[in-house]
Amino acid sequence: MPDTAIGRRRSLLNETRCQTCSLSSLCLPLALEVEDISQFDAIIRRRAPLKKGESLFRQDSPFTSVFAVRSGSLKQVTTEGSGDDQLTNFFLPSELVGLDGIDEERYPGRVVALETTTVCEIPFDRLDALSETLPELRGQLYRSMSKELRDDRRMMRLLSRKTADQRLASFFAGLSERFRRRGYSPYSFRLSMSRADIGNYLGLAVETVSRILGRFQTQGLVAVSGREVNILDLDALLELAEEEGAH
Amino acid sequence: MSAPAVIDDRPRGSGGMDSGDLLRRLGTAGPRYLSYPTTEQLTADFSESDAAAALAQSNLSGCDLALYVHVPFCRHSCHHCACLRVTSTDTRHAEPYLSRLDREMVLTSRHLNATREITQLHWGGGTPTFLTLNQMGDLIDRLDARFGLSGSRQRDYSIKVDPRDTDVFTLRHLQALGFNRLNLAVLDLDSHVQQAINRHQPRVLTEQLVDEAHRLGFRSLGLELMFGLPGQTPDSLAETLTQVIAMAPARLSLAPYAHRPERFAAQRQIRREALPAPEQQQALFDRALTLLVEAGYVHIGLYDFARADDSLAIAQARGTLTRGPGGYSALPPCDALGLGVGALSRLGDSVSQNASTLADYEATLDAGRLPLARGRRLTAEARLRAHVIERLMCDMRLDLGALGPAFGLEAGRQLLPALARLHSAERDGLVTRHAQQLTVTPLGRVVVDRLAAAFDAHAA
Repeated sequence: MPDTAIGRRRSLLNETRCQTCSLSSLCLPLALEVEDISQFDAIIRRRAPLKKGESLFRQDSPFTSVFAVRSGSLKQVTTEGSGDDQLTNFFLPSELVGLDGIDEERYPGRVVALETTTVCEIPFDRLDALSETLPELRGQLYRSMSKELRDDRRMMRLLSRKTADQRLASFFAGLSERFRRRGYSPYSFRLSMSRADIGNYLGLAVETVSRILGRFQTQGLVAVSGREVNILDLDALLELAEEEGAH
Repeated sequence: MSAPAVIDDRPRGSGGMDSGDLLRRLGTAGPRYLSYPTTEQLTADFSESDAAAALAQSNLSGCDLALYVHVPFCRHSCHHCACLRVTSTDTRHAEPYLSRLDREMVLTSRHLNATREITQLHWGGGTPTFLTLNQMGDLIDRLDARFGLSGSRQRDYSIKVDPRDTDVFTLRHLQALGFNRLNLAVLDLDSHVQQAINRHQPRVLTEQLVDEAHRLGFRSLGLELMFGLPGQTPDSLAETLTQVIAMAPARLSLAPYAHRPERFAAQRQIRREALPAPEQQQALFDRALTLLVEAGYVHIGLYDFARADDSLAIAQARGTLTRGPGGYSALPPCDALGLGVGALSRLGDSVSQNASTLADYEATLDAGRLPLARGRRLTAEARLRAHVIERLMCDMRLDLGALGPAFGLEAGRQLLPALARLHSAERDGLVTRHAQQLTVTPLGRVVVDRLAAAFDAHAA
């Protein structure tokens, strides 16, 4: 292979294997035996990285695959009939994108990279076939779906009852937990999403998000500098996130 | 603890009444005794040092404070409007005013003991929701920096909301700013009436805000309605009320429209022929009263209604309701500090009002002075009258024989001549009297300000 930029990227793509991927303990192959992982790995399509702002797929395009995020992050945006965009999810490394397209065979929202992002494409028909022979894979697929359902219901509770402070506290506590699960610091991370994105996701005006971030800093809960977040008092944040209703 | 029954003899309208008194009252706007003396009796010789003395005296009492902030801007011009307001679509127009407000806060806070609890805050207008979310946030920050706002669960922080320029995001922002009560200006839901007052406001706008306010757990929601508007009929008003009752607001106000085109230019857009005739005004109110009472609302007094489980109704039943520049309140008596153009203050033994034109208000502040226009220091007799008027309007009863401990044994005797002025009201069934005890009848509640006027030394 010639030593060019494209060539290097190709070889990198080819080198990436589930067997060596640092996320395999969080991703679909989690429950698989070593010999089974290679079967799973064989159905994966590696793709060139998405640039910031590039779409992984469009809303209502035909459902063919689910995608595992390998690095970077994405947002899912659903355009309502009224033309308003509603941000319905953020995806971080090891998380699966596209599970909500299975039943209607189309993706219910477009998914856009928030930064340079790599994903592993898992064609669904092959995944489906493979999971018949690998019950552990099927189990992991169910667990992923169940978790997504649970997260959505939590989000519904949040959107229907919580105050702006509670929403933002929940959001940060949730991000912290997701980083912790991946072996990163739960206290210090970088937001790939803008405040407008966070506001849209949480049902808050961007002014409200900025104001509450300011308040959290005054209260010593977090320190925010640009998009760098330091969680200073995770317990207080969790407590606030779990509170019910207003004062 | 459950509240005792509020009133047994619930009003069923004033259908049997042949007196013209109620009619006349409904057609004209007199003082509603948000202060005594009323603003008409305030004089221009109230100086800045009088205001400083009032603030010092208020500090000494150590009582809680209610802050009122007037935001005189509106995005739309409604024909019925009698508020002090400026119509604009550019929120930048509010910036110079917000700077002046801050200056007023700085000047005022110098005289104010910083430890006093701000138990009540109300933003009125105009339309406070004219301000951008950031402007609202800045104003709250400035109020907090100058006076120290409260985080207590007991606080009453309310804002008047125009559903036409407010969405659910605004409500969530308002909650984040610390507001826990909302007053939604609805006026009327009938599209013909809305057209006649140039206020296009589909019901769904109000409904989605009411739903969201309930979800977010705002402590109480008040809807502001008006009767006597052009094109209104008893049937159309009943339809509006039925829809409003279905939204289940904790509080409702149903104020009469007062047509004074000579004073309020916007009202010149309303033709007198389009207004309900005086006898229809009464039919409108009767119908409304019947519907509201049947739906479980208590007629607190004047044009204010509250559900029986609302703190206003409970406070009234316990005899602890109060009334100040902000209207009825379930919170204990407190001094009231008004900020902004035309705002009314009741501090210590004084009542004062800010300049009521934007130009005067701004010019006085630019000269480094408090923007006072008028005021009055209460004499001992005026304090007695103020007390009696407030108690009558809150309790709907009054015992002149029970004033002794607070005001001296002669106090009741001093007011006996006032009782004579209530003869015709007594004859009309608005009030009953046993010796020195007055009780306002259910029918009299809507004209309780007129009954209170009997104790006003300045009333005609």
